[in-house]
Amino acid sequence: MKFRTLNSLALAVLAMLMGLAVASACATTPKKSTPASKASAAGNTAQDDTMRLEGEKRFRANCARCHAAPPKFPPRVMGTIVRHMRVRAMITDEEMRLILHYMTE
Amino acid sequence: MDKTLKFARKKTMGALLLGLLLSSAAMYCQSEAPIPVMTGSVGYFTKVTEGQVQNIPSIDSLLLAPIGDKWLIEAKSDFSHSFGNQQGGGEYGSSSSYGLAYAQVDYIANRYMTVVAGRFIQPFGIYTERLAPNWIRSLQATPLTVPITSGSALGGMLRGGFPLGKTKINFNYAVYYSANNTNHILATDRSTGGRIGFFVPALRLEVGASFEQLLQEDRSHYVGGHLVWQPYSVPLTVRAEVVRSSGFYGNGYWVEGAYRLSQVPQLRRLELVGRAQQFFAAKVSPTASDDVLNTVGKDTNQADFGINYYLRSDLRIATSYGRHFSLNDNSNQWVVGLTYRFVMPLGPKGGSR
Repeated sequence: MKFRTLNSLALAVLAMLMGLAVASACATTPKKSTPASKASAAGNTAQDDTMRLEGEKRFRANCARCHAAPPKFPPRVMGTIVRHMRVRAMITDEEMRLILHYMTE
Repeated sequence: MDKTLKFARKKTMGALLLGLLLSSAAMYCQSEAPIPVMTGSVGYFTKVTEGQVQNIPSIDSLLLAPIGDKWLIEAKSDFSHSFGNQQGGGEYGSSSSYGLAYAQVDYIANRYMTVVAGRFIQPFGIYTERLAPNWIRSLQATPLTVPITSGSALGGMLRGGFPLGKTKINFNYAVYYSANNTNHILATDRSTGGRIGFFVPALRLEVGASFEQLLQEDRSHYVGGHLVWQPYSVPLTVRAEVVRSSGFYGNGYWVEGAYRLSQVPQLRRLELVGRAQQFFAAKVSPTASDDVLNTVGKDTNQADFGINYYLRSDLRIATSYGRHFSLNDNSNQWVVGLTYRFVMPLGPKGGSR
């Protein structure tokens, strides 16, 4: 019986460790840069710039119709505010994504 | 023996649940999922109307609680306190006003539609829904057309916005149904209606129309139109709204222009605002109109001019002067105040800011 209890406890501890391991795996870790990844990063930067410019344009067209530009907020805060504004100001799905990108970059 | 076995099983289950809870909490902390936010504004205004001074501190708080990818709970409350002397001097008096502007649940069904349920702002025109918060409005004086329509609704609404094919025009719409509610703070009318709008990004021009049909009392209906234009060449915003009603609420319109002096480096924080408006009282039952509107029951013209100074993007000094013209009641209204918009995350923010 003692063996069973110990076995159960070990299982429980293992479950907790698994939970934490899964969670830590979600954390972003810096990756070593290789030439291929550098090229990919350059491509991503260009794409980011395009998205940011497009996001700024959409921000000025949609949000600035009612209010002055707010400061940029952290991503998780901005995600909530943009969802609120999507409903309130009826901005389109695509515009919401671009504005969110612009406001968090 | 059985008891020991049961205890061990319970312990295992408890630990498993704890493990899951811990891992999900840790994942939530590390994810980029939106978090609940408390936002809103505080303001302090001094108003002088016909020599009567009023000091009005106010606070509006808005709770935004996202759930998953598609849900959002929004609740906004207003509180303001007014204290000042009686007309022509005399003793000071004070009064408070408070209310629940909206408390709604939003479900983003797809890219074309959001379903809203609860108490919400009636989608009529642009002022009440978009421009009313004191940190947004260019002039603190509320347009004379605002009390004409119901204001708040209790029920359900469908709304959304999407591009119209390849025309480069964004279409937005809202349709709603509201039940009657007689609670003195949360009163709503039984009504139905909606609004449509067309936004042309290339011109930064939006035009739209609204409709409300009252399903109680005199069953009056209301139609409205709105326009917002921001030319690319100058930092100017032109807004206008017109409302016509079939009942005893009257008709009216307002046109507003706000010019930000951003092209002059020394004056870039300044904004000049002007608004002209006319209100035409209904010809039927002027007494009822007076009671319901509580402000104007007769034909009125009003002109307002304002200067706003942005200390920061969220902190603004607002000043304005207005001249009110109506039969036997011409008066001046001065407003000086300060508005501050706040944003408070209610969870781990993510990012480095």
